[in-house]
Amino acid sequence: MNALNLVFQFADNFAFVVLAAVGLAVIFGMMGVINLGHGEFIMIGAYGTTLSANAGAPLPVAMAVGVLVTAVMGFVLERTIIHRLYDRLFDSMVATWALGLILTQGMRILFGNSIPQVSTPLGNIAYGEFSYSTYRVLLLPVALLVLGGLYVVFTRTEFGIRARATIQDPDTARALGVDTDRMYTATFVIGSALAGLTGALYAPTLTVVPGMGSSFLVEAFVAVVVGGPSVLLGTTLSGGLLGTIDAVFTNLFGTFYGQIAMLLTAIVVIRVLSNGLTGLVESVRNRVEGE
Amino acid sequence: MTEQRSGLSRRSFLATGGAIGGAALAGCLTGGGGSGGEETVTLGIIEDRSGNFALNGTPKYNASMLAIEELNEEGGILGNEIETFAPDPQSDNQRYQQLTRQAINEENVDALWAGYSSATRETIRPIIDQNEQLYFYTTQYEGGVCDSYTFCMGATARQQLGSVLPYMVENFGSDIYTIAADYNFGQLSADWVRVLADENDANVIGEEFIPLSVTDFGSTINNIQEADPDFVMALLVGANHTSFWNQRTSAGLDVPMGTSTVMAQGYQHKRLDPPAMANVYGGFNYMEEIPTDRNQEFVERYYEKFPDAAYINEEAVNNYFSIKMYARAAEAVGSTNQADIIEELETGMDVSAPEGDISLQGPVHHMTHNMRVFRCDENHNITVEDEQLIPEQFLSETVGCNLRENEETTQYVPADYYEEADATQE
Amino acid sequence: MGLGDTFDRLRRPFEGPNTLGNSRAFWVGFLVVLAGLVGYPIGFGSYAASSAALYLLYAILALSLTVIWGYTGILSFGQVVFFGVAGYSFALISMNLESALATTLALPVAVGLATLAALVLGYFMFYGEVRDVYVTILTLVVALVLNTFMAQTAGSEWTVGSVALGGFNGIPAIPSLTFGVGEAAVTLDGSAFYWFTLAALVASYLGLRALVNGRFGYTMVATREDEDRTEMLGYDVRRVKLLVFALGGALAGLSGVLYATWGNYISPSVFGITFASIPVVWVAVGGRRSLLGAIVATVVIEWFRQQLSATGSQYALIIVGVVLLAAILFVPEGVVPRLDAALTDVRDRFATNADTPEGTPE
Repeated sequence: MNALNLVFQFADNFAFVVLAAVGLAVIFGMMGVINLGHGEFIMIGAYGTTLSANAGAPLPVAMAVGVLVTAVMGFVLERTIIHRLYDRLFDSMVATWALGLILTQGMRILFGNSIPQVSTPLGNIAYGEFSYSTYRVLLLPVALLVLGGLYVVFTRTEFGIRARATIQDPDTARALGVDTDRMYTATFVIGSALAGLTGALYAPTLTVVPGMGSSFLVEAFVAVVVGGPSVLLGTTLSGGLLGTIDAVFTNLFGTFYGQIAMLLTAIVVIRVLSNGLTGLVESVRNRVEGE
Repeated sequence: MTEQRSGLSRRSFLATGGAIGGAALAGCLTGGGGSGGEETVTLGIIEDRSGNFALNGTPKYNASMLAIEELNEEGGILGNEIETFAPDPQSDNQRYQQLTRQAINEENVDALWAGYSSATRETIRPIIDQNEQLYFYTTQYEGGVCDSYTFCMGATARQQLGSVLPYMVENFGSDIYTIAADYNFGQLSADWVRVLADENDANVIGEEFIPLSVTDFGSTINNIQEADPDFVMALLVGANHTSFWNQRTSAGLDVPMGTSTVMAQGYQHKRLDPPAMANVYGGFNYMEEIPTDRNQEFVERYYEKFPDAAYINEEAVNNYFSIKMYARAAEAVGSTNQADIIEELETGMDVSAPEGDISLQGPVHHMTHNMRVFRCDENHNITVEDEQLIPEQFLSETVGCNLRENEETTQYVPADYYEEADATQE
Repeated sequence: MGLGDTFDRLRRPFEGPNTLGNSRAFWVGFLVVLAGLVGYPIGFGSYAASSAALYLLYAILALSLTVIWGYTGILSFGQVVFFGVAGYSFALISMNLESALATTLALPVAVGLATLAALVLGYFMFYGEVRDVYVTILTLVVALVLNTFMAQTAGSEWTVGSVALGGFNGIPAIPSLTFGVGEAAVTLDGSAFYWFTLAALVASYLGLRALVNGRFGYTMVATREDEDRTEMLGYDVRRVKLLVFALGGALAGLSGVLYATWGNYISPSVFGITFASIPVVWVAVGGRRSLLGAIVATVVIEWFRQQLSATGSQYALIIVGVVLLAAILFVPEGVVPRLDAALTDVRDRFATNADTPEGTPE
């Protein structure tokens, strides 16, 4: 086993887990809505990107279009459907599941079973007998940037403070003059845009087909549940843990064991740490501060 | 209408043309005194048009409709217009079971075409056998199904791999690395790679099975680079695995690759941006790029009926010629009696298909296919590198299956007949 | 009057504020519908009966979720886990031992194994303080683990006894439901299988009605409404949740065995996310606090999906999605409770001599 292989594979896996989960984590962590149509939101982002690239847009522009399209869709769906379901967590799961069904089949009817794919840019990094796709490796810093950007938005901006206030205590926030409805809408749009970004980033390296969303779902849910209540910290930590486990087990025993190890880790983490990795970090912090 | 039971005299039919055959058969009909003209003919066409297998199933559905339309224009079967029962099973095997029962019990179909994956075939085969329903399975598949009611129209793994693997060994060397989808079909295909490697004095230096849900091939690509084979046999299946091609190109993995599962089924060379499929060699009985006049006429007719269609895959053509073949058999028998038609088909039949002149091996219910080695270049142009008729051999020669003599519903696997196919012995 | 009294006495154990349909009229209607269902195979034949049997066995799966989610407040995505465990167990036992007696015993053993699986998973979660939506996601992840694991068991090394697990392709040729020993065994196919499934469904329904309207049922509902307060009142909430979860596992297991014998087939797709979501859809649409709602919604939705699929229309899945969405948005309490409320309304307004409903539906 080559050490660089492992490093690159880790980077690849970390980015995948974080990007797959982040949109779901924002919507779930901030609003308590489990978006079972999350994978389809990603698919919409990928379609937006690929279709614009095929129409002649340069890839970065096409990606921006993909993100924008998904964000707009998120806005429309929030205003028409999701906002009716905020105090009905489980109903929102059924509704988003139905939305996923509609989106998948709708794209199939509109654009057929497949659309021409975009190729992966940026070539490869060669080292000895091995090489790795540069683009896939670069997804790691992109994932970190996304996390950093979210951190700034939710902790350093007026919007972020209002949004968090809304999440923690909607009634008090409303009493203090926060338009909570707008906060929910904005959060949902951000979550949708992040899903769209994931789709945009993976459009050149995965197969863009109507059913592609399902390939993100497992990692997304596992990461969210392993991460625990704090969205940013949780997603980062679970990306790190799950990415490592996947890379190591895949290398030692093969792809299947990588997947199974990841899922089993999730179960163990939930059992041992009912608040996920975030809960562990917080209890360690409390203990340190207590001494 | 007399049919020689020796099986040596085979009827020759033109599945694609038809005027001459049709006239001759009209004579047969009156001579046979069948009850034609009164009964209706219903064909069940259960192919996925939504869900995971829609990409593969839609061309199968289209080609079936084309074949039926052409038959109806020539007067249908036994003078009756052909009716269809054509639901959308949505790539759901549970629904396949329900629809198969409905087709047999409620719609009373005279013959059934259904399913893309082996999993689907195995799900509905017990229902088929229980009801003694004539069934055509048209996907290229792992092989070995010896079933009195099932006719396997696709090429088997031994036929597909048997055309491309020797070519690869001859041109690139003898060290093979196999990557295969981790399910029944992939495992058995990998077994066949080992058997064929042995027969061609090559060796499999690495083997990796990849779950169908995997989309990330970073470690697989590294493993291939580490093993440094002369060529890779890539037996990947489904939309997730299609991601492999962009990823290997982007990673700079340029070992030649042989396949029996890519391009001819999911037309990756049309969907992916060049040069993702550069230097991929496939062993198939059909790709729409076959340059013969007969095929190009067929392609024209297909796109005339379905101008927005994406591709004509291997399975689509198998549906097409087998529906025509069924029609000939029904005309020959003079009725749609399923037992009679099965008996008729078991005597063998020469078929003029878009791929070339091929024949039905009656006793094993499989086809001798005109197998070609197709090469995809860096601009995604397809060229034919090699061409030969390859019969089904596993059932007919190794196992000794004979459905004219014995009633059976078994699927045989290579591990029971070849030492090198048995992975547990290594 | 005497007959009426007997009737009232018989229905009492099944009635209470936790279920719909606490009137004489309801039970008369119930018996009429039941008679219709029993007669269905006679009117429509064995093929129609065997098609319908699938919907009925799914309804038992829906009931298993209703009792856990609707009455105890735990949304489990893992009912398909127990469904699948029982289905696979039944296949492995009956196909390895290949005798009528073994097939007979395979049913209770498989249901037992599903119950055991539910007990283990339930203990793991409820005694580990896993709560609320995390239970939902954890159960979903368990289903996905099994889906991933079973899908890769295609190799020849994955055999249990003489039966290959078959990976993605699943296990075909599972024997039909059989009762008896040797020559004296009866195999249930077609209409007989339908009647057996119907009997199992009715027994499950009535049993659950008695349960939720009994002492334990009130504890379940209390747990759903306020876990902490119930605990303070001296109830062991964890134990309540565990027992309900095990009961749900057993019902899902029963449904799973019936499923495996219905199509003589089971595959890892029963653990997949699509199939895992479907029971939640049935129950949410029917009304998650209504046992009857779950049954009606399951049968209607599945029948509807099958009809749409048979048309071959590419809009089938879109129509399914839109109908579900509409049901969730416009009938939040569930279709059956809404219908019940409407009926009660009508009756209250027009009935001059109504038999007083002693337990008004919630």
